[in-house]
Amino acid sequence: MNVDDLYRVLRAGHIQAQGIVDTITDPMLVLDESLRIQNASRSFFTTFKVDRDEVIGRLVYELGDGQWDIPDLRLLLQQVLPRSTAVIDFQVEHDFPRIGRRTMLLSARTLSHPDNVGLSMLLTMVDVTEQVRRNVAKDILFGELRHRIKNLLGVVRSIARQTSTKDRSAEEYRQAFLGRFEALVAAQDLAFGEQHSGNLQALIERVLEPYAGDQHAIVVEPGPPLEPLDPRRIQLLSLVLHELATNAAKYGSLSVSGGKVIAGYAKHGDEELGLTWREINGPRVTPPAATGYGTRLIQSTVTYSLGGTVELNYAATGLEATISIPIPKPVIHS
Amino acid sequence: MQKTVLIVEDDYLIAMDLKLMLEELGWQVIGPAATVHNALALLEKEPPAVALLDVSLGDELVTPVAELLKQRAIPFAVATAYAKPEQYGGPLLAAVPNVGKPAGQRRLQAVLAELTQE
Repeated sequence: MNVDDLYRVLRAGHIQAQGIVDTITDPMLVLDESLRIQNASRSFFTTFKVDRDEVIGRLVYELGDGQWDIPDLRLLLQQVLPRSTAVIDFQVEHDFPRIGRRTMLLSARTLSHPDNVGLSMLLTMVDVTEQVRRNVAKDILFGELRHRIKNLLGVVRSIARQTSTKDRSAEEYRQAFLGRFEALVAAQDLAFGEQHSGNLQALIERVLEPYAGDQHAIVVEPGPPLEPLDPRRIQLLSLVLHELATNAAKYGSLSVSGGKVIAGYAKHGDEELGLTWREINGPRVTPPAATGYGTRLIQSTVTYSLGGTVELNYAATGLEATISIPIPKPVIHS
Repeated sequence: MQKTVLIVEDDYLIAMDLKLMLEELGWQVIGPAATVHNALALLEKEPPAVALLDVSLGDELVTPVAELLKQRAIPFAVATAYAKPEQYGGPLLAAVPNVGKPAGQRRLQAVLAELTQE
């Protein structure tokens, strides 16, 4: 039963039975015209940690050493309510001596008795403190999410703009663009997935999966347990791994059958992460005459965006990449 | 006045996107810088006419760069997806124009023109 139901029951001429008042799940007071408390619901006593004797017959403003003497409540009961039959969800923030600072939604109705000229008021108070706190947390989360989406769109646009069109057919451009795009998709799955969230090993496996060909072309060596990586680093590493893989498929060990990639990672001390990439059984390697965009993307992402170092060793037997990035201990922001 | 702009943005791809757009608009780009440290060093070495700042740089905030820019009276704009950058980067970013993220070329042009007129 809510306050409106009770209002109807009482208006129909019923007495204010304690039983009915107690069916109200939210704390409720029944006040007379002079704002003296005639009755209170059981949940009023439990919520505000007060006894029956402290409440019934007292003026509402005197309750619990004046804890209900709230300017907003006075405004509601003395100014707003007499001019309207009902006030719904009037928000009040107040420090209550026994329960602390709370946000309450107050609803009130006036009730004229059919048998006499007297007036009663029904006043319910719903504690929405937790709900308000949750809403604030939700707003922050929503802001973060929006920030990530916009950032992601910025990255996608940049990839579209910077993926080269030079000496390429439209079909080739699309292939190159979509390859990078898929790396971002993989990063999203691993950054916010229900499983393997922030897991580097799972990211490496996921990004290299399209290049695995026969099952043995790619070996991901198991690494040490790591703290989950943040979404930003997951996304950047995903792009780097993709560029390594696509280069290997075009020029390196993954361009021939029997060629292999051995990828792995290790912790260097507390605040550094190492990634290794070794190509074997591929064609004989000579260092490229000019640096392609893919290689520049690898180098810039590691050194510029991740603040790390990258070494590309074009050994005759196959490319060896050694990447090292700092992983600072998380700073606790207030 | 020389049309020089310092870009402070921690993501290489987004920094390059801004750089290409600004160069098409006739600006000479200084940087980009990915960290507060590098941005401050560039400001000392090669003071720009204006600056374009991302608010959140990896694990740090751009605020010290904004402070030095203000001190040197170099006008700047932010390029961030945050609706209220001051909630993250402090009150110094409150009245600063935001080209948004991803920034559109026309908006970039309009904001930088506004900054250089003051």
